[in-house]
Amino acid sequence: MSASTDSYRILLQERDIHTLHHNIFADLILHSQNSDGGWGYRQGLHSTVEPTAWSILALLAIEGPSGTAISSACEWLHRMQTDKGAWPTSSGKDEGCWVTALACLALANSPRPSNDAIIRGTEWLCDTWPAEGDLLWRLRHRRQQKSETVVHQDHSLRGWGWTPDTASWVEPTAYVMILLQSLAPEIRPPQAARRLQLGEKMLYDRACPGGGWNAGNPLVYGVAGAPRIGPTAWALLALRHNPTHSTVSEGLQWLEQNYQSPRSPASLALTQLCLKVYGRATRSIETELDGFYRNNQFLQSIPVVAWASLALTDLPCWLNNSPPAKDAI
Amino acid sequence: MSYSNTRLVPPYHRSSSAVAIRAVSSYEADVEAILWETLQELAPPVRDKAVLIKPNFVEPDMEGTINTHPVVIRAAREAFLRLGASSVVVAEGPGHERDTEGILEVLRLKDFLGPLERCFVDLNTDDVSQVSTRTQASKLKSLYLPKTVLGAEFVVSMPKMKTHHWVGVTLALKNMFGIVPGNCYGWPKNVLHWAGISKSILDINSTVRPDFAIVDGIVGMEGNGPIQGRPKASGVLVAGDDPVAVDATCARIMGLVPERIDYLKRAALLLGNMEEERINQLGESVVSTRQPFDILPAFQSLRA
Repeated sequence: MSASTDSYRILLQERDIHTLHHNIFADLILHSQNSDGGWGYRQGLHSTVEPTAWSILALLAIEGPSGTAISSACEWLHRMQTDKGAWPTSSGKDEGCWVTALACLALANSPRPSNDAIIRGTEWLCDTWPAEGDLLWRLRHRRQQKSETVVHQDHSLRGWGWTPDTASWVEPTAYVMILLQSLAPEIRPPQAARRLQLGEKMLYDRACPGGGWNAGNPLVYGVAGAPRIGPTAWALLALRHNPTHSTVSEGLQWLEQNYQSPRSPASLALTQLCLKVYGRATRSIETELDGFYRNNQFLQSIPVVAWASLALTDLPCWLNNSPPAKDAI
Repeated sequence: MSYSNTRLVPPYHRSSSAVAIRAVSSYEADVEAILWETLQELAPPVRDKAVLIKPNFVEPDMEGTINTHPVVIRAAREAFLRLGASSVVVAEGPGHERDTEGILEVLRLKDFLGPLERCFVDLNTDDVSQVSTRTQASKLKSLYLPKTVLGAEFVVSMPKMKTHHWVGVTLALKNMFGIVPGNCYGWPKNVLHWAGISKSILDINSTVRPDFAIVDGIVGMEGNGPIQGRPKASGVLVAGDDPVAVDATCARIMGLVPERIDYLKRAALLLGNMEEERINQLGESVVSTRQPFDILPAFQSLRA
């Protein structure tokens, strides 16, 4: 039995599952923190940006802004920022990528946010374009035609990719949109409004026929792709300021259908978070999360523990904010 | 060690490869006995080695046509342990779906393998090391690869037998895309598409060449694979000590000409044998098991 399982069992014996489960997840996160301040994807792995960012956001939601765990994690994130303002996935790498949005989100919500670090990160995000969809790319692909016939989507609608010089995908686009929407106007880059508009249109374009989103290929050779919980939840969270849009309504409907029989703790937690943001009916999910944890220990995934924690707490301010100012969208 | 021992051998220095074809009517058949008998015959050198099985898990699939069937994975794990492997871990980094646990739950992998924390590693979130690719066919030049893969002593690629809408077919070589970690490259691992799929297949397999391959063709996928195609009950397991020879044999069973598949042609230069005369065929014959797969119009030129 793993160390994390032992920790969980001991912690659970001491507490009431229905009222304090989120504290148990918080303790699991705290016990998994590395000595350098960051978190790995699993306990014992090297620190990487994504689990560190989610752990900060989860601890902030559960315990508030105090505590040395959050401050040391923020310091680790600051050390990871590259000269260009972006974040690589982990130390030893110098190329910024999708985790930049999550690092900025965590720092922006930290007790003592460094505006300089956040501004440089968001400027990098707003200055970084995916490789597809510019004029040269469209001219080249008009000649080749193949990509156009395989995946039917509007390549001029550009969001954000996972890595530089690749295509736009749903989840990294949603992460950046959630970040930009949550920032105060004075630290939002001037290009943010245009990028948010394009990102929003891209998400609508990439929705699966019938509702929901997958990674970002809704139609391949004319066949509808199946939506997935994760991309659907993140896309809906990024589009939460347009709840009456038909694509949003369809996505929510699909998500609610799948809420009845969740297959994993990640899908349950993200669905719960999303439905709460939209004010839809939710249920108590502590017992279900407990069952998932006893089944596979969430595959020891720190981000999943963090998402579960977020799903059990009040909505964090970065998802509970007002729509961006009119000039921003 | 599979990584450091990666062999890049031109054809004129290469010995012949052994590939076995077994007829297996369904997943209810005694797959364990059939695979044990096959591996005894092929005798992969796994004694006292840490074996890593790399299945093909892409996304949740209720119909069982996208992902390698857990019956076959369990049978392979048991066989390698009986052959003296010091450990056998199942490791995969699904390409389209971050929710690995959701895929494993739909597969019911735990029911077949037992507690997953003891036998499964999510390669998408593993610690990584940067390695230069042994070939430089694509613009990748180097890759971050999971330490679990780089530390394995014997790597087994275990794909599903499927068509593929970008490169024609996906088998043992293409399956190795799954060792490239999502946390570094995303879901999907789009950087490999932009670097050129065929060239990336060569670079990945030259860097971590599978020591063995077992293809689940009991039910494969034809048409618009690797996700949206139709089930194809081809009723075979194909196993061998050379992933190129295994893929070439599978292509022939699927009614395709391996020499016309771009990445196989490239791989045959350095990684293994494609020509029939250099493959020691065991078990059933290609002719007796051939069941042409429907393929997309863009790949009709691959047909035999």
